[in-house]
Amino acid sequence: MNWGNLRGWLTALAVPVALGVAWEVAVRTGIAPGRLMPPPSRLAHTAGALAASGELQTHVAATMTRVAIGFGIGAFAGTVIGMVTGASETARRLLDPSIQALRAIPSIAWVPIFILWLGIFETSKLALIALGVFFPVYLGMLSAIQGVDRKLVEVGRVFGFSGIGIMLRITWPAVLPTWIASLRSGLGLGFMFVVAAELMGASEGLGYLLLDGQQMGRADSILVAMIVFALLGKASDGVLVALTRPLLRWQDTVRSRL
Amino acid sequence: MTTLAIDGLGKTYADGTEALRDMHIMARSGEIVAILGGSGCGKTTLLRLTAGLDQPSAGVIAIDGRPIGGTHPAISAVFQEPRLLPWLTVGRNIAFGGRRIAKPERQRRVGDLLERIGLAGYGARWPKDLSGGQQQRVAIARALIGHPAILLLDEPFSALDAFTRASLHELLLALWQELRPTILVVTHDVDEAVFLADRVVVMRPRPGRVHEAMTIGLPRPRNKLTSEYDITRRNVLRAIDRSLAVDRATGSGFGTVSPWV
Repeated sequence: MNWGNLRGWLTALAVPVALGVAWEVAVRTGIAPGRLMPPPSRLAHTAGALAASGELQTHVAATMTRVAIGFGIGAFAGTVIGMVTGASETARRLLDPSIQALRAIPSIAWVPIFILWLGIFETSKLALIALGVFFPVYLGMLSAIQGVDRKLVEVGRVFGFSGIGIMLRITWPAVLPTWIASLRSGLGLGFMFVVAAELMGASEGLGYLLLDGQQMGRADSILVAMIVFALLGKASDGVLVALTRPLLRWQDTVRSRL
Repeated sequence: MTTLAIDGLGKTYADGTEALRDMHIMARSGEIVAILGGSGCGKTTLLRLTAGLDQPSAGVIAIDGRPIGGTHPAISAVFQEPRLLPWLTVGRNIAFGGRRIAKPERQRRVGDLLERIGLAGYGARWPKDLSGGQQQRVAIARALIGHPAILLLDEPFSALDAFTRASLHELLLALWQELRPTILVVTHDVDEAVFLADRVVVMRPRPGRVHEAMTIGLPRPRNKLTSEYDITRRNVLRAIDRSLAVDRATGSGFGTVSPWV
């Protein structure tokens, strides 16, 4: 880590740390009540207790499994269907209008029908997450394929490639940056929808922890769950960026800066 | 060796624009033919048809008497822009042009060409790290790695400054002397045509067709400072004037100002 980087971190942390310290002092001195807005020490204590009992790990594992499976399904479907509609004019005319129409439905509005169709347990949750991930990945892939530089495709043709060869050597590398960006926004939506899915009825998961905290009046466990959500989301995005960085080394702009 | 025959070539686009009409060009083996003309005279269309990137509406393009129906392994091209693949290193970009060559030989040629184009040691760099002139050198190397019988050049140096352009002319001629491809170079630059070509074909616009073809008899290596060079250059300029005079007479209203001065 270089000096400028460290300074950036310190600057960024100044405001939250100052607020945290101020709140801690306010609660300890009795200026403010800490029941609905517990101070940092209380949050740390709750997080420690949840972790020590293994409860936190169970919730994290449940949530992450749902995100991973839902993201996998949604990203795969979005990539494949986006590829097909991007590559074939016929497929685009046939499918894209319907997909765009479905996209106009707010994803949360699918919850009741998913529960009716797929039951209250895992399947409906995964379907909701997959649906949320599907749209950005599909749109990213479709527009990326349509945006491939015709001039580079011509280079491929002049040097003797066609069909699959062009696909693998020109189209695929050309769409990678947009595709990866769409995976990142898809992952973000995956975390959004896992909360919705777990709020609609779950016995474990961070969303359950949120709901449980609300019903038990435990602001501290709600806040801990929120913070853990933020950390997991950021960490997953970081993993995605790290995994895909070698593929994008050639790019002019460093879009993957966190 | 290889002769390129363009015979009765015509191209009318779907919107009714007639870009080319009844073009006849014969390029003998190892010859450099410059296609000279202003914008809108169908030069680029001619090259795209020859490269097999578009289909002609009329006429045939034949190599050694055999008509070609699309892209052809014997035909290679350098475009107006370098068009390097940004996700491949410089070395791999050059190798991209040689898919039919066995790998060890391809690697050897990449190394050779990198040296020839003055970019030895740049093989592992990305295209974005190169200047425009260096990128166009790589594009030339990519086009020549497969030892094509026919090399098409579409105003390949028009975006470069005069110094870079002159050095790329030298490079192109050196590689040509070694590999002897037949070269078809499209340009709007009289100096480029006179310096490079064995023959100059002056085109006339709307629709694009051959106005006049002339042989450049100057010995190589050519010296731009001789009076023979000057005379030849003036002859070409005169041919362009005549093509514009015809244009004026037919009342198209374009080309009244020579863009070549």
